[in-house]
Amino acid sequence: MMEQPQPCCKGAQVMLNLQPTSSVSIQYHPLFGSHDDLILLELDEKLLPDVLYQRVTLRGQTDEDAVLCTKSKTYSVKFVGTSNSVLLVPPADYSTSCKNSRDCDGEDYEQQIGASVIKVAPGNMELVEVAPRLDKLKSILSENLYSSDEALEKADLDSMERSKRRLYTWDDLTNKVQASDDELRTGLQARSAVEIDGYWRIVDEKYMDLILRMLFHNSVLNDWSLDSLIEDKVVSVLESDGFPRKLAYHCLYVYGGRVEEAMDRGVWKMDARRVCVHFARGILREGKRKMESFMEEWMRMIPEEMQVSFDMLEGEVLTEKLGVETWVRVFSVSSLPSTPAERFSILFKERPKWEWKDLEPYIRDLNVPGLSSEALLLKYTRRTQPKVDAEPVFTAR
Amino acid sequence: MQIQVKCSCGAEKCPEWAIIELQGVVEVQPSFRDSLQNLQIGLLCRPSFQENYTFTVGYHELTGSKVALKKPMLVLKKIKRMNVDQSDEATSSSKVELDVVGVIRQKILFKTRPKALISGPQPAVKEKANAAGAAAQKQSV
Repeated sequence: MMEQPQPCCKGAQVMLNLQPTSSVSIQYHPLFGSHDDLILLELDEKLLPDVLYQRVTLRGQTDEDAVLCTKSKTYSVKFVGTSNSVLLVPPADYSTSCKNSRDCDGEDYEQQIGASVIKVAPGNMELVEVAPRLDKLKSILSENLYSSDEALEKADLDSMERSKRRLYTWDDLTNKVQASDDELRTGLQARSAVEIDGYWRIVDEKYMDLILRMLFHNSVLNDWSLDSLIEDKVVSVLESDGFPRKLAYHCLYVYGGRVEEAMDRGVWKMDARRVCVHFARGILREGKRKMESFMEEWMRMIPEEMQVSFDMLEGEVLTEKLGVETWVRVFSVSSLPSTPAERFSILFKERPKWEWKDLEPYIRDLNVPGLSSEALLLKYTRRTQPKVDAEPVFTAR
Repeated sequence: MQIQVKCSCGAEKCPEWAIIELQGVVEVQPSFRDSLQNLQIGLLCRPSFQENYTFTVGYHELTGSKVALKKPMLVLKKIKRMNVDQSDEATSSSKVELDVVGVIRQKILFKTRPKALISGPQPAVKEKANAAGAAAQKQSV
């Protein structure tokens, strides 16, 4: 749009549209100064519309490095200095747009001829796509789990009591967590968080356990199929059992999914893997168990309709051989940090050697923009293969 | 904390700014240092049809060309808004906003050292390939 030569006589326009065999005077702007409030931000062409249409924000606490968030992505913001002199030339009418300045009277503006330099820029900001910093989300939501006590006392809680607890609204979270809106929403979902009375909460596993068992209990009593649960019925029965409506929905949401074909009728199918993982975690919460006794109790807890297999527990439990016995214990990928360096450090503290099939469930969720999982392995592990046909083994680098 | 990035110029109408980039620093004669406003730095010339330019600063001449930036650059202005709502306690919190005031797509780059012009009037401003001055700033990539 700037390519067509326009006979204008001032500012950036005249400089950029300078006609052959002509010249323009370059001078200091009437408002020349350090202008620390003017920042240059270099960014990809594809991000330009996001910024121009006001879809980006900067997020971070004062002790954190700021990140820039679009609707779906997070970018770190870095200052890059330059040793050259970068003379910044605004358009001709720039000074007229700053109404509050004393220096900005008509007289000075009239004096302006040619193109004026408003500041010498010491460098510019650059953007690098990064993974969202979601570890904080879990830690702040875990400060205050939603438990059965709270569900029962709910009515008695006065607002004073409520304000004493540290609870977070969506706006609090976007102010505290360095992630884009989409990433934050995905993060809340992955952590099974639920919005209760305007606050995002993680529900205590023991309370979830209570609701889930009651749901199964009711399904037996009422002869419901776990593959086609009618939402209205389930929710109203659980409500009459004393569970808040919101939590009844949440239970369906966490341990099941809507049946696509019957979307309008609100039909849900329980997810065998999520249910099985839940019960396994419950059994192992007290500590490790011998494989046989674990399997026996686990099978007993799971509704008959559901197919169980030990593979469902990948990324949730580890097994180890002690003598002739095999033991099972909880080691959940969701409890591990999301930055690769910290993740691998904990993994190798847990086990000095990992086979690929054991390691994979614990690293497949690692998300580092621009770095493939192969590159991650190269960076943080040493791969050895005792024999050509043997399984590769990964150790710390 | 969250800082909203606004664009009061209205997306497509975002005005284009320009950059003149040169090595070293532009040094102003001591007697003019307190009154830089409107002071002439030099003369930018386009001698031919090509996108080549000369920039004459004092008795130095720089030769360079117009280049398109690999990535666009936005000019953001930091705006502090005092919270109007004073009913709150002593927390006179001010809110920071960033406003897009321009976009830069091209610059005129002078990447060589200046050539001395033999004669000329005593200038108010001189360009100086000042190694010491440049080294004091952070080196770019």
